[in-house]
Amino acid sequence: MIFRFKRKNPKIFVLGLDGVPYSLVKKFSEDGSWRFFERLMKNGALQQMEVTLPEVSAVSWPSFMTGKNPGEHGIYGFTEFKENSYELHYNNFNDLRCSTFWDILAERKKQCIIINQPGTYPAKAVPGILVSGFVAVELAKAVFPLRYLAPLRRMNYQIDIDTHRCRTDHNRMFRELEDTLQVRQKALEFFWEEIDWDYLEIVKTGTDRLQHYLFDAVIDEYHPMHLDCIAYYIKIERFIKNCWERFYKGQSQDQEGENFYLLSDHGFCLIKREVYLNAWLRKNGYLEFEKEPPEEISELKKTSKAFCLDPSRIYLHRKDRFPEGIFNDAQALTLRNELKEKLLELEFEGEKVLRAVYFPEEIYSGAELKNAPDLILVSKPGFDLKGSPAKKDIFTNTDLKGMHTFDDAFFWAKERNLEKAKITELARIFLEKIS
Amino acid sequence: MKGFTLWFTGLSGSGKSTLAHKIEEILLERGVKVEVLDGDVVRQNLSKGLGYSKEDRDTNIRRIGWVCHLLSRNDVVAIASAISPYKEIREENRRLIGRFVEVYCKAGIEALKQRDPKGLYEKALKGEIQNFTGVNDPYEPPDNPEIICETDKESIEESVEKIIRTLELMGYIPAGDLSEDYSPEEEQKIKKRLKDLGYI
Repeated sequence: MIFRFKRKNPKIFVLGLDGVPYSLVKKFSEDGSWRFFERLMKNGALQQMEVTLPEVSAVSWPSFMTGKNPGEHGIYGFTEFKENSYELHYNNFNDLRCSTFWDILAERKKQCIIINQPGTYPAKAVPGILVSGFVAVELAKAVFPLRYLAPLRRMNYQIDIDTHRCRTDHNRMFRELEDTLQVRQKALEFFWEEIDWDYLEIVKTGTDRLQHYLFDAVIDEYHPMHLDCIAYYIKIERFIKNCWERFYKGQSQDQEGENFYLLSDHGFCLIKREVYLNAWLRKNGYLEFEKEPPEEISELKKTSKAFCLDPSRIYLHRKDRFPEGIFNDAQALTLRNELKEKLLELEFEGEKVLRAVYFPEEIYSGAELKNAPDLILVSKPGFDLKGSPAKKDIFTNTDLKGMHTFDDAFFWAKERNLEKAKITELARIFLEKIS
Repeated sequence: MKGFTLWFTGLSGSGKSTLAHKIEEILLERGVKVEVLDGDVVRQNLSKGLGYSKEDRDTNIRRIGWVCHLLSRNDVVAIASAISPYKEIREENRRLIGRFVEVYCKAGIEALKQRDPKGLYEKALKGEIQNFTGVNDPYEPPDNPEIICETDKESIEESVEKIIRTLELMGYIPAGDLSEDYSPEEEQKIKKRLKDLGYI
């Protein structure tokens, strides 16, 4: 006879589905595409969730794993200006300026397994096991402890799909999405029994890739690749079901749903137009480049007044921030008001493009506020804000079909009494559970 | 820098001493105080007279563990390289030392037979040598070592990098040339991927 001893603290399982919007999960659970999810809908609460701005994985996942806003964790995008320079730095895990909730769990002698969490590359020591996700490049630098490198290699563990080839070859994309889904499942099974974990998290990023390249096919049932997309989401739901069944194996039915969480890091919608903010700044006399076409933002003329980094961050050419800055604090305040006013008037075919322009102190707080962009823009759904310096036209389209939204991420939990979910609130929930 | 013990375990010929001395060189270059306790050398002095019975083997490993404990607590990095076939004694040493990093040098018997410079495996397999670990004496691999070096599959450089990086990640040694920024090659790859996804 086997005695099962009740743990003092519950185990927590978290499944992240990168970029999957609340509206899509709701649709799938209502139209029968996600049959298993209907059970989750009955047994818990699917909530629309807000994420921090800008609504990209590079910012959202750090907000999730620290429970802090960018003003505290210090990550405002995939890139950042190097200190007192116009050159770009590509943010990595070492740039995170505050502790993750796993660090707090480590102090409590708790163990974690984190698989494919974006924003954790290069891997650092964690209390347990970490396999970094996007933008991880080398698997050897994406694994802690390194004794797991060999088994991951043996299972042909892939961090991501080949985004370059898959952008144009959608059949290839579906094959690679399938492969990464399977290898994630293998990794999960391998690690599940490896340590006595208190917190296990796995993130699926294939959903975000699919939605960037084929969001039109996801939502349009007449699109020739619609059924391929749905088939992929059904596999994603099967993945959820597998995790659920494994997590509750041997437990009574009334336990189901307890300590199991699902979330996405931002929403998604169809792109109506890509909006190139540096092109707007150029057309309005705020920005000039030394050469045409510019390849990097660092090629700007030093007389420029403002410039944009992806996706929606405008920086003023301030003296205290850039080597050849031209504005003092008072001048910068005047300029940011002027820009806000003009940007809010930006229209495409008679429709306003932006729903909000924020100053950093309105949406961020903390010691890293000093490094925040001067203006943070939020577009209306359909207008995909971009910071590429090369484009001359403000409004254009490429082959990309889907864009991120900040207020249509989702969170599923058994608890129904949560207030409006915010991505920065989740760390607190988990930490309270694993006391 | 606080001391710790890096304990290499594995069958004869699995690369323990080679790796131990490579790590020693790297740590010395970084200005770290290091001492290597090689099983073969220890048997000529500290454990002179001990044989290969289970009892003698346990005594030998306990003695090495004790010296590692003394070195570690005096902020020296002690590197032990010994077959140390029994799990229980290795775990005893782990408990005694505290800051203990176990490296399992794993290699298949076929690879070891091929390497076998002194022909020991061949002799043991013919029954000419008794109590030869892995052939006619047991070896208990660790359940949860900090590092596994598959020395029949990976190069010495790969194993060394794995060990050094783990020690850096654990905060046991200061980072060497481990930059907080991406390498130019990594940055190019990341940039390309971000462009492919329309992020930059």
